[in-house]
Amino acid sequence: MDKDAFLARVDRYHRDGWRLAIINTTSILPAEGMDGGAFDISWSFASDQLIEHVRERVLPGEEVPSISTSFGAAFLYENEMRELFGVNVTGMALDLKGQLYQTSTIVPFAPSAIRARLDALGRGDPAPKHEAGAKKA
Amino acid sequence: MPMSLFKRSPWILHYDGSSCNGCDIEVLACLTPLYDVERFGVVNTGNPKHADILLVTGSVNERNIEIIQNLYRQMPDPKVVVAVGACACSGGIFARAYNIQGGIDQVVPVDVYVPGCAARPESIIDGVVSGIAALEQKRKRSA
Amino acid sequence: MKRTVVPMGPQHPVLPEPIVLDLVLEDEKVVDAIPTIGYIHRGLEALVERVEYTEFGYVVERICGICSFMHGMGYAVAMEEIMAVEVPERARWLRLIWAEMSRIHSHLLWLGLGADAFGFENLFMHCWRTREEVLDIFEKTTGGRIIFSVNRIGGVRRDISDTELAAIVEKLQQLGAGFAATARIFETDPSIRHRLSGVGILSREDAHAVDAVGPMARASGIRMDTRLTGTHLYDRLDFEPVLETAGDCLARVVVRVREISQSIDLIRQAVDRMPKAEGAPIEVKVRGLPTGEVFERLEQPRGEVIYYIKANGTKYLERFRARTPTFANIPAMIKLVKGCDLADVPNIIMTIDPCISCTER
Ligand code: SF4
Repeated sequence: MDKDAFLARVDRYHRDGWRLAIINTTSILPAEGMDGGAFDISWSFASDQLIEHVRERVLPGEEVPSISTSFGAAFLYENEMRELFGVNVTGMALDLKGQLYQTSTIVPFAPSAIRARLDALGRGDPAPKHEAGAKKA
Repeated sequence: MPMSLFKRSPWILHYDGSSCNGCDIEVLACLTPLYDVERFGVVNTGNPKHADILLVTGSVNERNIEIIQNLYRQMPDPKVVVAVGACACSGGIFARAYNIQGGIDQVVPVDVYVPGCAARPESIIDGVVSGIAALEQKRKRSA
Repeated sequence: MKRTVVPMGPQHPVLPEPIVLDLVLEDEKVVDAIPTIGYIHRGLEALVERVEYTEFGYVVERICGICSFMHGMGYAVAMEEIMAVEVPERARWLRLIWAEMSRIHSHLLWLGLGADAFGFENLFMHCWRTREEVLDIFEKTTGGRIIFSVNRIGGVRRDISDTELAAIVEKLQQLGAGFAATARIFETDPSIRHRLSGVGILSREDAHAVDAVGPMARASGIRMDTRLTGTHLYDRLDFEPVLETAGDCLARVVVRVREISQSIDLIRQAVDRMPKAEGAPIEVKVRGLPTGEVFERLEQPRGEVIYYIKANGTKYLERFRARTPTFANIPAMIKLVKGCDLADVPNIIMTIDPCISCTER
């Protein structure tokens, strides 16, 4: 991801008085050309009735800058991202050092962890079948 | 056993494991005017050293194990454990979640299982009554 | 000055649920608070790998036993959006009515717990007695007191007859009238005022800076409520969120007290305005496999909840995420606890109306 461009965008939301609504991470399973999988991270900002999303795809290990200096609530989402997904978030205002959830499995939502659980269930790649409904974003 | 035959007031310690809150609230509801278990002399205590019955709602995850064992160990003998709700009995709907180890009986011996998701106040009271009977038996045996 | 760390929790008299706060003290002043959660973390979001999307609603409902209706509704609405399902109007009205009833019962529940935390047990009993009347209506209309399972993708499972709806409105209005005396105690009793007024003040700016939601934000004067977006038929009702400006513990209590009568009124409006169409369809059959993603927002009793769902055309969803209101309010709680007296910590924690099982999922 382009860190500077990202931070500039976040900063604009901050200056315009938006609030942070949610930071969500989705693990992308390992595939051809992406051995370790990836993370789709979206930062959602709300203002009055509007909600907008900034989305980035990052690889495991890739540095993701914290936005907790602009948005006070971000540290909780970011600690969660690191603890449950293994995303490499840097510069958090309050670093809980992996003590937030203390799950029995480490990084249970990481692509490799999900892959391992699916394999144990005997399910291969979740291949798309026939489609229903319109795609919404 | 009819309630009028209670010889003693059973004191209850309630611990909430990894529950959804549902059973938890129903346990609290038992204390409030509509069900009011205090009229039977049942007292809710926060101190394990005062308790005869450990009432657990919710399943166990790794972080809970030690706490439940600690509470159980600190209770004086004889003591009884009542597992309230599907989660406490077996892990319930969460049994297959990665962070859940299963029901309370994975950690401490359980005397009474109260079914339901959520367990109804009537069944919780019934479970406590069965717990009291179990307590009396243990008392006789150790006497 | 000597610093002491006091761990609070996981089993603590004012906390109905386990959470740990390491409070760093200088004398009686709290200078820092570090949260640890995880006692109720079940990892239910990962259950999407094992539970098919048609049944996952049952898991979502059990995120939390207080908002179980709203969670079930949020999941259903989000899936309907992904699958482009047109839900019958009557089902949408019924959902709105149940949702507002959830708010009433949740606020009563919280007011009781709050009263207990600030040492007013009598009031606790009053609130919970009143709450049982709402649960009776739930039980009559859905069959459950806590977990209702009345939502399904495509509609709801049960209809409420028009006469029954009228009776519910009447019953709730009686309940509201009866609750007025208790409400007055919350708003005017000197001892409550003494304990809560001026304690734990969250200014409007701070509330915005820590991204607070729900009654927490509204008590600090921020006009924020997802119902204002007009989705889920709220555009058909006259609605203006309850606001307070003091931002202290008392203001948060007062907002919730007033929202009870507001919800009763919203239900009355809904019953007035919904078409008298008893027996009209309340669900549509949903077929096929979902593809797409959606962010869905709802106003739960504790504030805005956001669901994110990503479906990839199989029976199993790829990702389900719920960002619950308590999760969003924890930064506000930490902010408030810093700088307060140790003895005020329980009240401050209680007035954010924490729901830990929601937060940890
Ligand atoms: S048994 Fe059901 S209601 Fe009770 S804690 Fe578990 S999920 Fe919640």
